[in-house]
Amino acid sequence: MSTADPTKFKIAKTVRVKGIALCITLLPGTQRLVFGSSDFNVYELDLAADKPQPVEFTGDGHQSYVTGIARTADQVVTGSYDGRLIWWDAQKREPVRSINAHDKWIRDVISSPDGKVIASVADDMQCKLWDAATGNLLHTLVGHLTMTPHHFPSMLYAVAFSRDGQLLATGDKVGHIAVWDVASGKKVSELEAPVLYTWDPKQRRHSIGGIRSLAFSADGKLIAAGGVGTIGNIDHLDGPSRVEIFDWASKQRVQEISDTKFKGLVEQIAFSSEGNWLVCAGGDNGGFASFYDSQTGKVLHQDKMPMHVHKFVLNDTQDTLYASGHEQIAMLEFKADPPPSSPLPADATTPSN
Amino acid sequence: MAHANSSFCGSSDHGVSRRGFLGRTVFAGATAFAANMRVMDALKNPCLAAELKRQQKSVILLWLGGGASQFETWDPKPGRLTGGPFRAISTDIPSVQISELMPKMAQRLKTTAIIRSLNTRNADHGGGTRLMETGRAMEQAVDYPDLGALIARELGRADSQVPDYVSMYSETEGRHKGGAGFLGARYAPTFLTESMIPPNIRRPDSMSEIDHQERADLQKLLAKRFADKRYDPSVASHGMAYERVRGIMASEKLFDINMEPQSARDFYGPTQFQEQCLIGRRLVEAGVPFVKVARAWWDSHGQNFETHLELCADLDQGMSALLDDLQQRGLLESTLVITLAEFGRTPHINASLGRDHFASAWSCTLSGCGIKGGAVYGKTDEDGHKVVDGEMKSGDLFATIFEALGIDHNKEYYVGARPIPIVDFGAKPAMEVLA
Repeated sequence: MSTADPTKFKIAKTVRVKGIALCITLLPGTQRLVFGSSDFNVYELDLAADKPQPVEFTGDGHQSYVTGIARTADQVVTGSYDGRLIWWDAQKREPVRSINAHDKWIRDVISSPDGKVIASVADDMQCKLWDAATGNLLHTLVGHLTMTPHHFPSMLYAVAFSRDGQLLATGDKVGHIAVWDVASGKKVSELEAPVLYTWDPKQRRHSIGGIRSLAFSADGKLIAAGGVGTIGNIDHLDGPSRVEIFDWASKQRVQEISDTKFKGLVEQIAFSSEGNWLVCAGGDNGGFASFYDSQTGKVLHQDKMPMHVHKFVLNDTQDTLYASGHEQIAMLEFKADPPPSSPLPADATTPSN
Repeated sequence: MAHANSSFCGSSDHGVSRRGFLGRTVFAGATAFAANMRVMDALKNPCLAAELKRQQKSVILLWLGGGASQFETWDPKPGRLTGGPFRAISTDIPSVQISELMPKMAQRLKTTAIIRSLNTRNADHGGGTRLMETGRAMEQAVDYPDLGALIARELGRADSQVPDYVSMYSETEGRHKGGAGFLGARYAPTFLTESMIPPNIRRPDSMSEIDHQERADLQKLLAKRFADKRYDPSVASHGMAYERVRGIMASEKLFDINMEPQSARDFYGPTQFQEQCLIGRRLVEAGVPFVKVARAWWDSHGQNFETHLELCADLDQGMSALLDDLQQRGLLESTLVITLAEFGRTPHINASLGRDHFASAWSCTLSGCGIKGGAVYGKTDEDGHKVVDGEMKSGDLFATIFEALGIDHNKEYYVGARPIPIVDFGAKPAMEVLA
């Protein structure tokens, strides 16, 4: 049950870190964050400490940017542009398993809601499902084109599980979304969000954008895809932050949110557990977080973030957001005011004697 | 039409004799060419024209407009925060590594020298472009020619029936024609932007082929009768100009890659840049001394790594195919292939995962004619912030290019009575990269 009030959104804490914190997860029941960095390392950061300091994971780690992180029952799994997945003992901060998972950059790693399945997406345009406990490969989901229509390598950026863990969505550079049945590994639907991909055929002759974030609504009926809208000058992320919401079964786009107040990529999306709002975060050279009414697309609240946000994780009550981004980790709170207490009996304030 | 495959480039024997020859002609030229360069024409010196014809050398400049990142191409810094996410990969030259984004070029460094120590100090698109096009800073009093015009002037054949300088720039961002400056319009580029077929070279539909030919025959007849009674190089030049126009009109097919077999087109690849590399090969094969193929736009202030994933794939395929094709045709030893931009990109990775303009420590390459393949010149520090060895300025690069082509970098032109060195004052070639 969410105890959130997006209008109460405020920065509670920030910690400067070395490099770019590209992905983040939260160890359950704690304020201990684990994040992956552009310095190729994985760190733990305990925000409950007086002076939180990143503590480096040790052992045979990654050889490139650490871009995805997922939590299992008692471990965390990281993925990197080096193509490897590494299972870590989160208490000892040491690796327990390493797999050469993909031939190209791993863009994201997530776990199913029950923590039993790991999904990784990479620029080999494959999504792979792994047994979280054993590391065994369960399925390889192939359905995204390896090249863009303009003869350049495509990228598979985004992946999301439905809340019941039965469905998975993947999204690529040119705005193609595939929906998969997790148990069988079969594709069950396809959606298109081409506005999230800007191809400049004339001025600069390359592209920018892509589907950078995906999320299922709590009831599993809607899929939100985030990125950046059409950009005039693709030298910069100077386009509207953009979210498209689909009823995936009917393939209908039910919302298009194009927000020019805060520009840049929507790097992550999460629906509230009640389904009444969704939160997006990302940025260009700066960062933002925006809450939208998931039915109407109207802004509930939005604010600057202290940095470009690459990923965030919500706590269980969905009233605190932990964000990783450019040289910073930030903790944002948006807790609803406690309900007013019942009026006390008149004699309660009267001295008894 | 094709270059003679036996044309030489790089041999010390030839180099001496050629430089000796050029030295003499330059000495003679100091007197003979002391006229205003605007009216100077190589045709006035038949000996020089013959020598230049014999050289049959060419340049293909792959211009990476907007500024490609040295980190993601020729000077990777793996494992450093400034280095970005890409690995460095081994090459066919032991101890030399380049970015993993250039896997095909990594197997072709035996033909290529990397210069990692450009410090050109101008990180503005306009100023940097002008600097790297001309090899020197702008000067109010002198309109300097760009590299293409200089090469056209030095290597162009007076009797050529193809353009001396073809410049292809299809993207609109940073599009810049360049120019011949004080060398005059004779050496200005045939500038192709929207179409790869030069505009206005087709015979008008209103004129039949027979009519066109008859007019040419009549012009020839009258010109011959006129010239027979006069000994004047300018008369010959006039006649050659007509021949040249007719040649250029007939050269339309050179620009048409449909004339190539599908296998050749597949070899280069399907992108516009790759097709233009193929056109570049066709042009140098036909005797065009300078071809510029611009591949813009690398100005990756945001999403540098995504941008380079696309553009490096384009460059790696196009450049490697071009080098292979030139080599297979025996043209690489007489063709210098250059990759160059107006500057490189910052070591610092900004919040948009971009890199900004940076001219203090960046890279370029020279392949083929006159180049010591596998050479790496200069060095940057471990994070790529500054040059720590072999600093090279734009003038030094131009001097190196000229020497690779057998053109004396000490040569001077005259604008009026003012001597203008062909490269910037004090510039010196990097002998370490010369064959």
